[in-house]
Amino acid sequence: MLKDKLNAVLKIDRRWIFLALAVVLFGAIMHPLGLISNKISRDTQSAYDFMNKLPAGSFVILSLDYDPATSPELNPQAMAVARHAFSKDLRVGVVTYAAGATALIEKVFSVVPGEFKKEYGRDYVIFPYQPNAVAALTQMASDIYGIYDKDKDGKDARSLPVMKEIKNYKNVSLVVCIAGTSMPDAWVAYAGDKYGVPVIAGVTAISQPGYGPYLQKKQLKGLLGGMKGAAEYEYLIKTPGEGTSGMDALSLAHVMVAALIIVSNIAIVILKYL
Amino acid sequence: MKLIKKYIPLAIVFVFGILTLLTYYVPHKHSVNFLEAMNKWENIVSAFAFFLGLISLFYSHYAKISRKADGWGYSIFVYIGFLAIAVPAYVSHGKNMNGSSLTWLGWAFQYIYNPLSATMFAVLAFYIVSTAYKSFRIKSLQAFVLFVAAMVLILGNVPLGQMIWEKLFGWTSCAISDIVDWILHVPAVAGKRGIMIGIAIGAVVTALKIIFGIERQYLGKD
Repeated sequence: MLKDKLNAVLKIDRRWIFLALAVVLFGAIMHPLGLISNKISRDTQSAYDFMNKLPAGSFVILSLDYDPATSPELNPQAMAVARHAFSKDLRVGVVTYAAGATALIEKVFSVVPGEFKKEYGRDYVIFPYQPNAVAALTQMASDIYGIYDKDKDGKDARSLPVMKEIKNYKNVSLVVCIAGTSMPDAWVAYAGDKYGVPVIAGVTAISQPGYGPYLQKKQLKGLLGGMKGAAEYEYLIKTPGEGTSGMDALSLAHVMVAALIIVSNIAIVILKYL
Repeated sequence: MKLIKKYIPLAIVFVFGILTLLTYYVPHKHSVNFLEAMNKWENIVSAFAFFLGLISLFYSHYAKISRKADGWGYSIFVYIGFLAIAVPAYVSHGKNMNGSSLTWLGWAFQYIYNPLSATMFAVLAFYIVSTAYKSFRIKSLQAFVLFVAAMVLILGNVPLGQMIWEKLFGWTSCAISDIVDWILHVPAVAGKRGIMIGIAIGAVVTALKIIFGIERQYLGKD
C-alpha cells in the first residue's frame, strides 16, 4: 500500500509541479514577504566599494548586454549600478553588443537619470548597438570615436560635454558589464588584461560560478550574481527595487526545489527498504 | 583555378593572421592603424555574414513550407516574426523612443519581443523544477556530493534558505553564505580554470592551424 503511494509520488504528473510552482511564485509576487539576505556577498561588496571610491567626474562605461529573457535578473542590476554611478556624479557612457538590449537600455535611462537630475549629453550618453564586440573593444583602445563617432540619435559624440577629454581606455575609470552573454570575458581580455581598465561584471545566477577565476586573480574587481546580486547592491545603495522585491519569489522557488529533491530521494530510500 | 580557390585564400589568411597577431605585441602607430583598418573590415564582413545568414534562414524555412515538412506551420512564424520587428524598425528609423513616447519599433519590442522572449526563458524554470524532482536521484557517491553542493547553493543563495539553515544548523556557528563562498571560490574555480585553460590551448592550436594552412575546412569542399 505504502509502496504504491510512494511510487505514485515519484511518478506524479509534472503538470502538478508546474501548478505548485506557479502558485508559489504568484503568491510571493502578490504578497511580498520582505525577506532580506542576512549577509552581503564578498563579490557584490567589492563591486560596490570599487565604484564608491571613484572620484566624481570619472568616466564609466556601462556595457549592458542582455535581452528580455535575462532582464528579470539583470535589469535590476543595471538600475542599481546606474543609480550608484549617478549618485556619485560619475559620467556614464552606455554601450551594448546585444541587439535586444537597446530598448531595455532606453527604459532604464528614461527612469534613473531623472531621479538624480542628470541630463543626456552632459552626464551620460547612450551609444548605438554594435554587432561586432571584439572589433569595438579593440578599437576603443586607441580611439573610442573610431567606432562610436555618433551617439544613438546620430549626434556627434565628440561634441557632447560628457565625452570631454575622453579618447580611449586611458580615460576610462571603470567598465561595468552587465550581460546575459559572455561579454564580461571579452571586456576582461580586451580591456582589462591588456590595458588595465578595471572591470566589474553583472551576470545571471547560473553563469556566476564561471567567473570565479577572474575574481580570484582580480581581473574582475567585483561581481553581481543574478537577482541576489541586484538585491544586495540595492541594499548597499539604500534604494530597494525590483531585485529586492523579486527575492521573495526566488526564495520560495529555491526552497520548493530543495524540498522536492529531498522528498523524492526520501521516497526512493524508503522504497529500497520496503 | 587552384591558385584562386586555394593558394590566394591561404596566403591572405597567413599574412593577415600573422600581422593581426603581431599588433598585440607591437605598440606602434602603424600597428594601431592596421588594427583599426582590420576592425572596420571585420565589421563590414560581419554585416555581410549577417545578411547571408538571414537569406539562408529564409531559404531553409521556405523549403520547409513548400515541402510541407513536419512542423512547417511554425516556419511561417519566422517570416511573421521578422516582419513584425523589421517593418516597425524601418518605419521608426531604428529608434525605440520618440521623446517620451514609444515608436512603432519600441511598441513592437515592448509588446511582442519582450513578452515572447521573457516567456520562453521563464518556462525553463518550470521544466528545471520538475526535472530536478524526477531526475535528481542519489544513486552513487558522486551524485551524493553533487546533491550536497546543490542543496547548499540552493539554500545559501536566498534569504529563506539562509533562515532555514540558521534554524537547523545555527548551533554549528557556520554561516551558509561562507560555505557558498567557499564552493564558488575554491572547487568551482579549480574546475572552471581547468576548462578555461583547455579551451584557450585548443583555440590557440586551432588558430595556428588555420594561419599556417593546416586546417582548411573554411575553404569549402572544392
